[in-house]
Order: sequence, then structure tokens, then C-alpha cells
Amino acid sequence: MRVTWASLLPVLRTLPWPTLTAAGGVGLLLAAVPRLADGTAAAGPALDLLRCVALTGGLGLAFLLDDPARHTTAAVPVRRLARQALRAALVAPPVALWWAAAVLLVPAEIRPPVGDVTLEAAAVGLLALAGAAAGVRLTDRPRPGPGVAAGLLAAAVLAPLLLPERWALFVPADDDRWAAAHDRWALLLAAAVAAWGLYGRERLGRRR
Amino acid sequence: MNPTVSASGLSLHYGRTRALDEVELRLTPGVTGLLGPNGAGKTTLLRVLATAVPADRGSFTVLGHDPRTARGRQEVRRHLGYLPQTPGFHPGFTAFEFVDYVAILKELTDRRARHREVRRVLEEVGLGEVRGRRIRKLSGGMRQRVALAAALVGDPGFLVLDEPTVGLDPEQRMRFRELIARAGEGRTVLLSTHQTEDVAMLCRRVLVMAGGTVRFDGTPAELTARAAGRVWSSTERDPGAKAGWRTGTGTFRNVGDPPAGADLAEATLEDGYLLVLDGMGAGVAA
Amino acid sequence: MSAVLSPAPPAADRAAAAGGARAVLALARFEARKLLSSAPVVLAFVVYIGWIGWRTRQSFAGYPALQDADRSTQAGPLLVGMAVLLSANLAVLRSRRHGTEDQFAVLVVPRGRRTAAHVLALLPVVLLTAGCVTGQFTWEALKPGAIGHGSPAELLAGPLTVLLFGAVGVLLARLLPVPSAAPLLSVCFLFVFVLGAFSFQGEGTRWLAPVVSEASTTPLPSDLIGRPAAWHALYLAGAALCVAFLAVLVSGARGLTVKAGVALTLALAVTGAVAQAGGDSPALTAARERATVTPEKEQTCVERAGSRYCAFPEWVPRTAQWATVVDRVRSLTGPAAHDRQLLVRQRIDARYGPAADSAIPPATRRDQVTVGTAWGGNRVPEFSTAVAAVLVAGSEAASDTMCDGRMVTVMWLSLSWQDDPVDALRRVRLDDSVSGAAIVLSPTDPLTMTEGQTDVVRRLLQRPLAGVAAKVRAHWAELTSPKVTTARVAELLGVAGPGKADSCA
Repeated sequence: MRVTWASLLPVLRTLPWPTLTAAGGVGLLLAAVPRLADGTAAAGPALDLLRCVALTGGLGLAFLLDDPARHTTAAVPVRRLARQALRAALVAPPVALWWAAAVLLVPAEIRPPVGDVTLEAAAVGLLALAGAAAGVRLTDRPRPGPGVAAGLLAAAVLAPLLLPERWALFVPADDDRWAAAHDRWALLLAAAVAAWGLYGRERLGRRR
Repeated sequence: MNPTVSASGLSLHYGRTRALDEVELRLTPGVTGLLGPNGAGKTTLLRVLATAVPADRGSFTVLGHDPRTARGRQEVRRHLGYLPQTPGFHPGFTAFEFVDYVAILKELTDRRARHREVRRVLEEVGLGEVRGRRIRKLSGGMRQRVALAAALVGDPGFLVLDEPTVGLDPEQRMRFRELIARAGEGRTVLLSTHQTEDVAMLCRRVLVMAGGTVRFDGTPAELTARAAGRVWSSTERDPGAKAGWRTGTGTFRNVGDPPAGADLAEATLEDGYLLVLDGMGAGVAA
Repeated sequence: MSAVLSPAPPAADRAAAAGGARAVLALARFEARKLLSSAPVVLAFVVYIGWIGWRTRQSFAGYPALQDADRSTQAGPLLVGMAVLLSANLAVLRSRRHGTEDQFAVLVVPRGRRTAAHVLALLPVVLLTAGCVTGQFTWEALKPGAIGHGSPAELLAGPLTVLLFGAVGVLLARLLPVPSAAPLLSVCFLFVFVLGAFSFQGEGTRWLAPVVSEASTTPLPSDLIGRPAAWHALYLAGAALCVAFLAVLVSGARGLTVKAGVALTLALAVTGAVAQAGGDSPALTAARERATVTPEKEQTCVERAGSRYCAFPEWVPRTAQWATVVDRVRSLTGPAAHDRQLLVRQRIDARYGPAADSAIPPATRRDQVTVGTAWGGNRVPEFSTAVAAVLVAGSEAASDTMCDGRMVTVMWLSLSWQDDPVDALRRVRLDDSVSGAAIVLSPTDPLTMTEGQTDVVRRLLQRPLAGVAAKVRAHWAELTSPKVTTARVAELLGVAGPGKADSCA
């Protein structure tokens, strides 16, 4: 634990802040669109909007585990999952604040159910982290971020097109399937956490 | 012999640091070694000669072309092969693709002739077998050879190699020496290195740089000669020596001003190099 | 691109300049191969081609109006465009990400020309997209039910969008050389252009988006659509080339050709943007008014088996399909209606443009049936119902208020000859039911069926056609009398009557 505390500051400095800031900025800019655009906005677009905002956040998080010093730090005793979790824990408070700001930027009268949309956003963020962890585990690259981001983007574009009706995730707010879809989102969130836990572990040699 | 590269008064400052200070240089065909401690300005000199950075003052020509005009610089680049200190690679490319890519950037536009040339240089550096493999999957030594192939492609008249043998195992280094020696036949090669054996075995000439200037310019034999009579063996460490260390046989090998009646040993190029750096070699030779 | 470096090369350097141009082409060829085999682009094309196949098999119910089919090729390339944006961006960033920029900087081909090669490398992807667009459109055009004319400018929008997005990817890599920029920009593009949410609502700004769709189910004659497709294509081409030239310019090639290219293409883009925002011309508005109010002056009429079919010129081939329906329905009627000369007239409301879906009032003239511009699928039983209603009630306006036993005859005439009459009944009713009261769609105002009528019609449709047909012919006069009740009709035709009396409240 003490090691974790000691590495707090160095890790804080190695985080990809420019990328995270850029992603956050773009997200907030998107979230501000209904307030900037005059005229009446509808609730349907507001939901799409928050989903896009969540996607920008996810894209930022896809770069979170990028570490140019990866090969140098690979052999330290602090476990990889702990190092990754520390990175995530460090960005969690600003990300939470950012999401709250984004949600508040959307006018209250067209804002979709906050809890459910937050669940979607959390699932997207965790999926990005799980993807990044998989990128670290399955490749030898110090910066798997661009590939993970491209994958996340592809998933976000293709899922609404290709998912069969039974597994629909991107449903409108007034749809009957809303509740069921959010059960699926919760499932996705759990799966992402599990995948992260799995991919965050380091590979051990096979025991005889 | 007409020099392929000649430079006079080359200077380059990074802020207050003088990276190059009035460098004079004449390179002729064959391999010229460039020795010097870290921070001596070797890499800066190579980067200036490779047209990667312009000099603040002074001028140089490569095969008669002056890189201070846009057209002259293009002409220099047409005759240049450059292997930087830390070459980059596109890990997703195959060895062939990467060298092919560099060949295109060298304006080798005829597809068939270019592919033939790329295959030739890859054969030459011994990568003919693995040319279809992605660079991601190649070992460090193989990657270094890909970089050398990229420098060699297009048969440039002037080859600038910045520490090409770093990180290679002895056998790979031998192979590399072979390659560089072959590349030096009919070309001007400027080879920066920390390995004095490389210089001793390969080079027709050697330059020693320190503090941004050229401290020595001559043949390897001349550099070795600077240490003649300045290396001796003793049973104890000699306090008067500039450098001294216990060898495997248990005796000490000292470099510096020997005491009277010292047991003189045969000097090597490295001894000469150490003495030049120490500002002493010049005194003895004079 | 040959004069990127030196605006006026002297004779001695002409060979070198040509060599430089050839190097750009060789590099473009290399990069094009890499782009076409990059994962996002491959994935996008797999999905895109799959989408074309899946969609075009059943699009427009097999009866496309080609002036609408051309527009339907525009959505798919957006996906390809996003993938190309990402891949082209990463390709430009490649040498920076992997630390080869230093090596490449001292090679003969300068950065500006490398950027030019990246832009040229987009062309094969653009051509492939154009091939897919052409394939999709040709497939529609080859369908036996296809009518109308496509617009080449509308077909160009898709490939030009891919070019624009790719050029934006290249420019972005030169302006903001970080790998996270392109995905973030893609999300913004996704939001603005694909989901098309908040912005682009005015008529002028709406056309700034690369793909402008019109949600409509009623095709208009091609000369009444009034989309500034050619201007829009010019705008897209100008914008794409301008972005491409800008990318070359910011990469350090400051030659006269490049600057002139930026200026010229910007002028093209602005010209297109201004011209496309012009809105509907007075001539177009007048033409739409004429086609709506006095279609008979615009239409071509043909005689088929004693009936007259008047259609807008592009729809004349479709009169054969209408005649088939009319003949089938009329063959089931009693002798009095057998020789009735129907006038089938195509009517539209074009006054509000291609995006509007306005209702058409029923025709008041005796024996006139209205038909729309769409065909296939549910449009067939709907038209069939209108024909039957006119044959039974005399005119569309008269059938509109029909609330008696005649409705049973109308529906039986309309549906019984079709392949699956009960299914046709389901499709022609607004709520897709086969029991209870419901609204029945027709090309003009809808009709209503009570619960009792529905039950009787369903029972009739389950009987053999010939038996019912004989009874219909025998009792034609009574069946088509306004005073007949549903119960009486059921009795005449030999099926169980309705549970309740007629009531159309």
C-alpha cells in the first residue's frame, strides 16, 4: 500500500494528460451544443448527444494505459493490475466531475434519465479500459491507445447497426425496451470489469 | 584525391552550448572513423553533414553540392545514405516494405528496378531470408541491419553511420564490419562509434572529436603511434598514470608519462585515443 | 503536384521535377495499398458492401424510383469515410509515432510531397466507393420495377464524402499530430453528420453537411425534386480538394501551385455552398404547383383494356402494373361494373418538396381512381382497395363516407385475388390487425372497417374464391346498394354475420 502512495505523484505525471484534456474538452463542447444552438432541441438528440459525449470520454480513457516507459517498468514488484488501477483511480474524480458537468450542460427539460445514461457512460469507459488492458496484455506495444480507440469507435458505430433486436443497447428513452436495454448495459459493465481484471494480470509462465 | 566532402568553419550552437566549433573536415572515399566521448559533438556533426540540421556558420560541400540552397540540399540528399543513432521503424511494415518505402523517398521511382535494388541491399545485409517478415518480429540486430539497408538503398556516394554497432553481439558486429568495409569500397563512409576496434579494423582514417572540435585527424596507425612509449606494465598501480587498470594477468597496464625504466608495452589505438582526449597526445607527436 | 517546390523550374531541373512527381506517385501507390489494407477500412468496406447487399435486396419493395434510389447510396459511404479519416490520419502520423521522421527528413522527397502522396493515396478508396455506389444504383436500376432517372450528382456525393473525410484526416494529422485527434473528430462528425441532431436546420446551412437526406416515402418526378445536387457535389469536391491542398501547404510546400490550388478550390467550395443554399426557384415552385393542382396537364395517358391510365411521364411503364390490379378487381365484380371505364390518375402533392408527406384529397369525379408514385409492398393492396371502392361506391369521395355492408364487398374485391388475402388484409390495415375495428389505408383518405365487417371479410377470405365470386356476381346490385347492411351481405354471401350492427362512430 505504501508503495502505491509513494508512486502516486510520479504516476500522476505520466498520465496522458493532453489526450485526456482534449477528449474532455471535445466532450464538453459537444455537451454544450444544445445551449449554444438556439431554438428548441428535442430529447432524442440529447440522448444521442450524451452518448457521443460518453464516447469521447471512452476514447480519452483508451489512451490511459499508454506508457512509453512500459518496458522499463515491466519488472517492478508492484503488480500490473495495481498500477493500472492506480492510474484509473487517479483519473476517476476528474472524470466523474467532467461527466457531471456534461450532464448538467444538457438543459434539464430534454435531459434523458441521468442514472441510466451514466450507466451507459460507465460501461463505455470501462470497456475502453478493458480494451486498453487487453492491448497491453496481448501486444508488446508501449502505446496501444490508437488501436484501442479505433476499436472502441468501430464498436460504437457498428453496434447500433449490427446488434440484433434482442440485444439492442442503443434504444430511445421513451422506448419499451429501455429497462431491458439497461439491464444489458449493466451486464456489459460487469463484463468489462471482469475483462479488465483478467487482462490486467501479467502472464505467468506455464507451470509444470 | 579530390575530397568527396569538405567542410570549413562549421559551427552550431544550442543556446549557450557549442555543439560544433569551427570544424574543418575533408573526407575521401573509404571508411573514416569518428571517435569521441559522449557529448563531443559527433552526432551533431553527422546530423549537419546529413542535412538534418543546418549549421549556424561555416560551409560544406558533398560531391560538389552546397546544401545551403534548396536545390543544392536536394542534390546532397540524392547522394546520401544516413543511419541515425536511434533509427525508427514502422513495426507493421515488413523489412522489404520499409526499405522499399525509403527507396521511394529517395526517388527511386521505377518500380521493377526499385524492387530489384531493395532485394539487393537486403541480400547484402543478410536479410534476404526474412524480408517478408514484419519488423515487429525481428530481433534488435536484424532491425539494425534493416536500418543499414535503408541507408544503403539507392547506392549513395556518401554514407553517414551514427554508431551502427551499438547493442550488437560480437558476431553481429563482425558481420557489420564486413558490411561497412564493403560499403566503403568506392564510397565515402563516415562512421561514428565508441568501439576503437571498429576503427582499428575498418578505417583508413580516423577523426577524434571533443568539445565540438576535431582534436585529431590522421590514420589509425598515426593515432596508435601517439601512444608509442606511453604504455607500460607494472605490478602496482602507477600514481603517475593518466589511466591504469589491473589486467587479467594480474599486472597493471598504465597509460601516461612512464617513469624511467618502465616495462613498456605495445600501444593500441585506444591508448592513443585516450591520450588525445587527455590533451597529451598532441604534445608527444609534436 | 509536380511543381510543389519550385514554381518555374529551369530546363536543367525539369527532369528532376518530373522525377519528384514520379516519386509522389510511387509513394501514393504504396500508401494506397496500405490504406486499402488497413483494418478500419477493410472492416468498413465489409460492413458497407454487406449493407448494400442486405438493403438493396428489399429496398423500395422492388419498385424503385431512380430519382430516390440515387440518394439512398449516400448513407453508406459515411461509414467508409469515417474509417478512411482514421486510417489516413494514422498513416500520416506513422513516421512520427515510430520515430522515423528524422530519417525521412533527410531523404529526397520532402514533407509537402509526402503529404501530397497521402492525399493521392485516397483516390483508390474513393474509386472503390464509387464502384460500390455504382453497383448499388445499377442493381436498383436493373430491377424490373424500376422507373425514373437517377442524378449523377447525387451519386457523386458518397465518393466525394469519402474524399473529404480522408483529406480531413490528412490535414488533421499535419495540424494536430496526436493519435487521439482523429477518433475525437470522428465522434463529432458522427454526432453532427450521421445522427444529424442539433445544427444544420436552416435551408442554407442544412446543405453544408456532406450528406443531406430527405425522409420521404412518396417519390416525386425528378424535375420536381429541386435538390441542388450538382451544386452540392461542386461544394463537396471544392471542400475536399481545398482541405487536401491545405494539408500540403501546412506541410511546408509553399509553392505557387499549392497556394493557387487552395485559393481556387476554396472559391469552388464557396461557390457551391452559396449556390446550393439558394432555395427553391420560382419556376420550380410553379412546376410543383402545376403538378399538384393540375396533374392532367403534365401527364401522359395510355389506354389499357378499356380503362385510361394517366401518369407522370416517368411512371408510364408502371401503368401495366396498375392495369393488372384493375383488371383483377374488375373481373370479380358483377356484370354492371365489368364494363365500367375507370380513369386511374396519378396524383401527388409536390408543393412542400421531397421531404413532405402530405395527404391527397379523394377525387370527386365518378370512376376516377387515384394512385401514388410509390409501388410494391403495401401500396398494392391499398391501390386495390381504392379501385374496389370506386367500383362499388362510384367515386373516391363517395367511398370515403361509406359505413355499411358495401365495405365488405370492397375489401373482398380488393383482397381476395391476392396471393395471401389474409396477410394482405393485415398489411392494408393501419394497426396490422385482422380482427376488430381498424383504419384501412388507400392512396387518398383512409376507409374504416368495423369489427363486424372485419369478421365477415375474414370469413369470406377463408372461403374458396370461385364460390364467393359467383355469389358476388349474382347479388351485385344489392351488394353495392348504399342501404345494404353488413349482416345482409354476410347472408347473401353465405357466411356467418357480424356480432354487432354497423356503427362507424
